[in-house]
Amino acid sequence: MTLANPRAGWEKIGPEFYRKIPLYQNIFDEDLDLSSYHVAGAPFSGALALWRDTTKVTRYRTNAISKTGIDVYSCSGKLISRINWDKGAIKGLGWSEDERLLVIAEDGTFHVYFGLHGDFHPFSLGHGAEDAGVVNCRFWSHGFVALLGNNTLVAVSSFDEPRPRLLSAAPEGDIHAWSLIPPAHTLSRSVEVLLAVGSTVYVVDVSEAEDRGLSDGPFKHVSVSPNGRFAVLFTDDGKVWVVGSDFQNKYSEYDSKAKTRPNNIYWCGNDSVVLAWEDEIHVVGPEGAAAKYYYDDIVHVVPDIDGVRLITSQSCEFLHKVPDESEEVFKLVDAPAPVLFDSIELLEKRSPKADESMQRIKANLPEAVETCIRAAGQEFDHALQKQLLRAASFGKSVLDLYSSDEFVEMCETLRVLNAVRDYQVGLPLTLAQYSQLRPDRLITRLIHRREYLLAIKLSEFLRLPLNKIYVHWASQKVKGAGGDDDSVREVVVERLKGKYGISFEAIARAAYDEGRGNLATLLLNHEPRAGKQVPLLLNMEEDEVALDKAIESGDSDLIMFVLLHLKQKLPLATFFRTVNARPQAAALVESSAHNQDKELLKDMYYQDDRPVEGSDVLLEEAMQQTQVQAVIDKLKLASRLLTDAKDPNAVIHAKSLAEATVLLKMQEAFDKEITDSSGSYVGLSVNETMFRLIRSGYSKRAGRVQSEFKVAEKTWWWVRLRALVAARLWGEIEELGKNRKSPIGWEPFYNEVLGAGNTRLASSFIPKCTHLKPAERIEMWIKCGLVNKAGEEALAAKDLDTLETLRDKATGAQVAEIERMISKLRPRR
Amino acid sequence: MAPNLDREAEHIKEKARKDLLALLESVRGKKNVVFSKELPGIVGLFVGFSVLREYGVEKVFVLENGNTDSSQRNIIYIVDGEDVATVQAVAGQVKQLQRNGNVEHEVTIAWVPRRTLLSNKILEDEGVLGDVNVQELQIFFLPLENDLLSLELQNGFCELYLDGDRSPVYVASRALMQIQQRHGLFPRILGKGDNARKLANLLVRARKELDADEANTPYTTMPSTSIESLIVIDRDVDFATPLLTQLTYEGLIDEFVSIKHNKAEVDSSVLGAGSQSRPPQGSTTIAPTSVSTRQSLKQTIQLDSSDPLFSELRSLNFALIGPSLSKLARRLESNYEGRHTANDINSLREFVNKLPGYQSEHKSLAIHTNLADDLTKYTRSETFNRELEVQQNIAAGADPIYQHDTIEELIARDVPLPNILRLLCLESTISGGLRAKDLDTFKRQILHAYGYQHLLTLDCLEKMELLQSRSSASALLLPVGGGAPSATGTKTNYGHLRKELRMIVDEYNEQDPDDVSYVYSGYAPLSIRLVQCILQKSYLQQLHKSPLPLTPSSTGWAGFEDILKSAKGPTFNIAQKPNDERVSKAKSALAGSGGIKYVFVMFLGGITCAEVAALRFVAKKLRDGGQRRKIIICTTGIVSGRSIMESLIQSETLASGIKAA
Repeated sequence: MTLANPRAGWEKIGPEFYRKIPLYQNIFDEDLDLSSYHVAGAPFSGALALWRDTTKVTRYRTNAISKTGIDVYSCSGKLISRINWDKGAIKGLGWSEDERLLVIAEDGTFHVYFGLHGDFHPFSLGHGAEDAGVVNCRFWSHGFVALLGNNTLVAVSSFDEPRPRLLSAAPEGDIHAWSLIPPAHTLSRSVEVLLAVGSTVYVVDVSEAEDRGLSDGPFKHVSVSPNGRFAVLFTDDGKVWVVGSDFQNKYSEYDSKAKTRPNNIYWCGNDSVVLAWEDEIHVVGPEGAAAKYYYDDIVHVVPDIDGVRLITSQSCEFLHKVPDESEEVFKLVDAPAPVLFDSIELLEKRSPKADESMQRIKANLPEAVETCIRAAGQEFDHALQKQLLRAASFGKSVLDLYSSDEFVEMCETLRVLNAVRDYQVGLPLTLAQYSQLRPDRLITRLIHRREYLLAIKLSEFLRLPLNKIYVHWASQKVKGAGGDDDSVREVVVERLKGKYGISFEAIARAAYDEGRGNLATLLLNHEPRAGKQVPLLLNMEEDEVALDKAIESGDSDLIMFVLLHLKQKLPLATFFRTVNARPQAAALVESSAHNQDKELLKDMYYQDDRPVEGSDVLLEEAMQQTQVQAVIDKLKLASRLLTDAKDPNAVIHAKSLAEATVLLKMQEAFDKEITDSSGSYVGLSVNETMFRLIRSGYSKRAGRVQSEFKVAEKTWWWVRLRALVAARLWGEIEELGKNRKSPIGWEPFYNEVLGAGNTRLASSFIPKCTHLKPAERIEMWIKCGLVNKAGEEALAAKDLDTLETLRDKATGAQVAEIERMISKLRPRR
Repeated sequence: MAPNLDREAEHIKEKARKDLLALLESVRGKKNVVFSKELPGIVGLFVGFSVLREYGVEKVFVLENGNTDSSQRNIIYIVDGEDVATVQAVAGQVKQLQRNGNVEHEVTIAWVPRRTLLSNKILEDEGVLGDVNVQELQIFFLPLENDLLSLELQNGFCELYLDGDRSPVYVASRALMQIQQRHGLFPRILGKGDNARKLANLLVRARKELDADEANTPYTTMPSTSIESLIVIDRDVDFATPLLTQLTYEGLIDEFVSIKHNKAEVDSSVLGAGSQSRPPQGSTTIAPTSVSTRQSLKQTIQLDSSDPLFSELRSLNFALIGPSLSKLARRLESNYEGRHTANDINSLREFVNKLPGYQSEHKSLAIHTNLADDLTKYTRSETFNRELEVQQNIAAGADPIYQHDTIEELIARDVPLPNILRLLCLESTISGGLRAKDLDTFKRQILHAYGYQHLLTLDCLEKMELLQSRSSASALLLPVGGGAPSATGTKTNYGHLRKELRMIVDEYNEQDPDDVSYVYSGYAPLSIRLVQCILQKSYLQQLHKSPLPLTPSSTGWAGFEDILKSAKGPTFNIAQKPNDERVSKAKSALAGSGGIKYVFVMFLGGITCAEVAALRFVAKKLRDGGQRRKIIICTTGIVSGRSIMESLIQSETLASGIKAA
């Protein structure tokens, strides 16, 4: 077996090797004149977008339809789709990391195309882009910045919900070149733009534009390395400078000695720079060393994270720095890895030298095996991959203990990579790209290319979920398939039966978008998630079904969403009818209307014949009125609703509302007649009104209130007692005490008065508490400090023990008195 | 291997913290933050405000105050996205800022706990959706303690039982789904009550939906090996319990001072600022609110297990607080005395090292002594004791008619309305309604004493069936006895359950209680007895005396099905089977059976501090009994009779508008 020389095409640039790997041949149609096209490629070896360069004159061809459009190709030149474009001149075109295509028109309109087949969301830049016009755009993995004609910069940092934001104002003057540092690589975590203006470079972000203080400009090109740490500047006199992106250090300089300025400058990985002319490429490595490549025809450069792809009409090549492990294994020196690699050849020749060399490198064998495995991952050539893996396998067979995990993993990875690198698929991922892209997103890319079979096979191989693939397949199926709805549904449902995690909502939406409403309804019935069904059902004007599904989900948000929608759309009567049949919806309407829309609530209660609730709404309104008369008017309205109602609750309401009106009128009158330091009477309750009146010394008026509202005697006495105590009107309390009976008994009098600190008055009520036990009365006397009286009580009760305890409490003259009582009781000896 | 459930609370806290800080970080530079009303307290549970400052927060506003200024270019709204009014307020404010500020604002809105369709629609209708960055901050459960996860929904109770809005059930299902996604399915979902059943349905449904979700992998649909079950109790099965005054230390603080997000606002005197200048003991009839309305400086204290003293005291019956405090004081004193016995350098150093601990203990001892002293003022008051007497008589099943005189007197004495309504609602709940004539009389008295605006309050209570007349239709359906024909009661029959579940424990050991009834001084909450029906079957059997249809291997509700027919709502027991039986068997075999099993107890509609104490007591009993089971309490929020009544009582008067004008 003969292997291609693995070192073929290596170029030494400075200390490093670079190599150009041919990926695909004969990629474009011969008629396609690449020189009149712009080319933009998606990161991670994604699709290429080609659109006509309107500044170039092209050969007029009679059979070609001269329409503007964007052609999307795979890297192997397979046409994926043609996208129509009718928004005028394209001022910016780029790809996001997840292979969404962004196209920005001169007037600031921009489309986000997803799924590679012309589906898009339209957006607009705003911020005056319509008038100033977009000059050009720069992109990063999740966003872009547009430069407008008036030197304004507008950044869009998400494509899901683009929110164009104005960056800080750029300095005056011509912008010679510009570039950006993606948010992931800046300190501020938001995008920063490098503007070459005058002889310096400005760094512009959301809050400021800072001059970096350079003086060797004007710089004709600016470009930032993929890891955001370096920037390359191209000076007017043909020099290339590599500096840190913070402009603190200058790392290398290279004189291109070119008479014409390069069309563009790209980074090739993070350690070299590609200068691109029409048909010439310079690769400038560290320390200013360079290699040059010449082409017969135009060459387009598509930068990627670890190298650049070079696209010509004939071929697609990948230019990158030779990875360390490849360099190590193919190095022409006597080191473990190359020895291990060579030993395979010896082994195949059945040469005993194979074993000899094994023994020689045995000490370093594990590392050598590892190097071979890793180097295999870097190769595109299958034979070379195999050879390297075979070497690794041979090496590890010699080792006693070796974990094969890495080997197995690499074999799996290579199988995946080789499968997608096939020219039919055209995703020439490198190992580094694959590990950054991650398997799940690779599957998504395959889905977008409608490589369903491969996607399923790879997902199974990689143990990834299959549901998205099925859903995408089914969505395409319902879009494309002819035949009646039932048969399409049957095909789809049959195929997806028992599959895990299928979103029928997405499929139904695809059908609906295609104008097949009936099919959409049929499919939607298979969707288990109510929340997903609802918005689509509303789109489809299946209002009641949507409401039912929302209720089923139990999610108030969904229910409210549907209700809001229905309320805006339906006539009120129909709305109520729809809602009332569903108690949970009705409850929500009621509670939200309570906070938002009182009129709706009134209508609702009226239609439902719920007079009490209706009057409650008016009562609430009454409380908001600013004039007493207005309050009364509202109360009248409220009670009017209740005139015909018979149920007991309504009767209580009607009566209370009437009372409330009377009370308000009385209170208004009090406010006029009485000057009372504690403010207006209006708004107080009946009891509070009486309390305040008594406290302020207007007992007569309080009495009027009592009789007007037929306040119970007990309550009336309590209110009087509390108010008099509060006002310290002892005289009046004494007056009350002259009554023979109190409906609340006399104990409260004792307690309240004592609580207010008047022991003398309090004690006067003790004899009136006739129903209490002597012991309790004794306690009461003691609390008033009247031990003698307590003693008398005890004496009357013939309670010697208590008397003896009283003796301890007694002071002064009391002691003798108690002693006297004790002696009275104590049996004579 | 599923993550450790012991650290679940920590994990939730950490995640919430990370998410919030990431949100703050995503907006560059200095910024002002606007919270909706409840959120500062909630955020305070997992991140300190000084940390916000480190992340560039300059000023913090509360949305409802409407005073957001233009001092910063960047404004972050962190607001509740479920409430229409809040969303509209945000939209209004954003428009305002755009109009009048001379600065161009960069507005970010983070909806908590999720971005809703409704918020999108409202922002779109108001024309601001395109001008703001919208994010969501997924905060569902908030750990108040390691064993207590709360959704902290302030209006949860009203939404569920007054408005008939089931959002709390939905939010609870989302929160429990997060637990299931992390730890595996609850192998069994048990529950009692309508909303509990709805929650279980949502969980079952959510699991099906999850199966259909693209993002899901089949590995999360296995029953958990460390969780035993989820027990869901709907508050409306047992309305009576929160209406009773809680008698644990923490419960009493919540009743009188109010605890919110583990914090309470107390008089600064409690912190020991000027204990000698405190006013002398008030009159014997002092009403509980008259002290709290007194003009004084308020200060916030933290009430959670970070204070070791409080965790020792919180669950005790209030009667024991005095003795416990003095015991603690003595212990502390002897600790301090330790310095005298420290006669060499080493032991002295040891003492000095412990000193900060003693000092913080000392401080907290002072706080709790003062606080307990303040509470004693209420608990010694005559009206409080009258209320308590009425409550206990009603709970014990005495004829409520004899309590009416007392209630009338309390009304006439202007005892705060919440206390009155609690008594009446308690009577109505326990004895299936008041006689129509009595109800009318009480209504009139309430309207006279507290104002006609309370027509609205009374309507609310009636709508929730908390206060109703005995003749009303639903009261008639009160199931009688154990032989009720239907499996699901429409109302809880306390009379029957009181007997069957021994809810009244007359003699209990106050010093070292052996039954949960100590938390209400002799009344065992029905809600807790329900949980015990599942977790402590033999204990209940022992109380019940006559044999129940029980075997030692009974699980679920077994043995109590008939009794539970007298409680409102359906009783259910759902097993969540794995999609793939074999894998699950293998997994559980691998996990072994020796580990601790967790029981999640979810209280929909809220739980009282006393019930939490009771559940912790149950957990302790299980542990003492040698069972390897732990209880994690989940709830929509902490409630008390006070907070429930406050949320239902009409706060405005007929003169509110006039006064405002």
